[in-house]
Amino acid sequence: MPNVPCVLALAFTSLLGCLPRTEPADLLALTPDIPANRAMQTRMFDTPNERELLSASAAVLQDLGFQIEESQRDIGFLRAVKERSAREYGQYVRQALVLILSLGKILQPVDLHQQIAAALVTHPLNPESTRQEVRIKFYRIVWKGDGQFDSQYIPPGEQYMEMIRDPDIYQQFFAKLSKAVFLEAHRI
Amino acid sequence: MKGGTMQTRRIWAVIVLAGGLSWHGCAAPEAPPDLLAPTDAQMKIRSLQIKTFDLTDRNAAIRGVIASLQDLGFIIERANESLGLVTAARFAEPNYYDVLTITVTVRQETSEKMSIRANAIYNNKPIEDPKVYQNFFAALQRALFFSQESTSSS
Repeated sequence: MPNVPCVLALAFTSLLGCLPRTEPADLLALTPDIPANRAMQTRMFDTPNERELLSASAAVLQDLGFQIEESQRDIGFLRAVKERSAREYGQYVRQALVLILSLGKILQPVDLHQQIAAALVTHPLNPESTRQEVRIKFYRIVWKGDGQFDSQYIPPGEQYMEMIRDPDIYQQFFAKLSKAVFLEAHRI
Repeated sequence: MKGGTMQTRRIWAVIVLAGGLSWHGCAAPEAPPDLLAPTDAQMKIRSLQIKTFDLTDRNAAIRGVIASLQDLGFIIERANESLGLVTAARFAEPNYYDVLTITVTVRQETSEKMSIRANAIYNNKPIEDPKVYQNFFAALQRALFFSQESTSSS
């Protein structure tokens, strides 16, 4: 019976795959990079008109090619998305190299499609509502194509999300917004 | 001859056993009578999820919830002012494949008390770890404090 330990080990590892991945203990804890992110994503405007700021934000997002998906005036909230191709030349080169080096056995999935989204919130900063804060977050969801690992087929549609952390994108948005409302955007 | 009868008996035993097992599969599983009854675990998790704050302005409380969720890296997906409902999600970075979803409801208990409830789900499984909810309420308290400070200072 030399195969029994092997079978047991195999059964155990296959069971391990069934266990749901549990959350890490420090989930939702405040991290040191919060103030920096907040500063990048937030600007203040000296205006009493929150509604005007919100509609100008919607117009700027539309100029940038976004479609507004969700809006709530009472709490100053907007969510907008745009769909684009996520194909990158570099990924195809890497895919080809891996395919050649693995003697045709591994075909890595490449990024095919992406949804770029923006969530924007306006917030009055004082009781007279003469100053407003605008905070926007850009992120993207990427869908991958199909691939092959040895004899196992990897189906397409695997997705992952990443936050957009390039400060230039946020600066461009706020530059456009301050032009649209004829106001200067103050950093926090 | 004797060996032959033993073999037939064995075959019959296997057939009866297999028949019994297949019948067992056909029996409809009965719903336990306490299905949907509140369990102790549910009551415990509920008490972790709810926290009462001394606040008067409901709209400001909802905005505070949104600010704290944004600080924690969440993307606001839906918000409803009249119901006091905010739904947000984020992929648990640095692992981009685990999803963390949270729904927060804000309810005015009395004119000076606001009860805020957070339901967090990690990969389709409710989070039962008290620490996670404590972390969230700490972030919320901080956001509410900052917004109060900015309104009172100016």
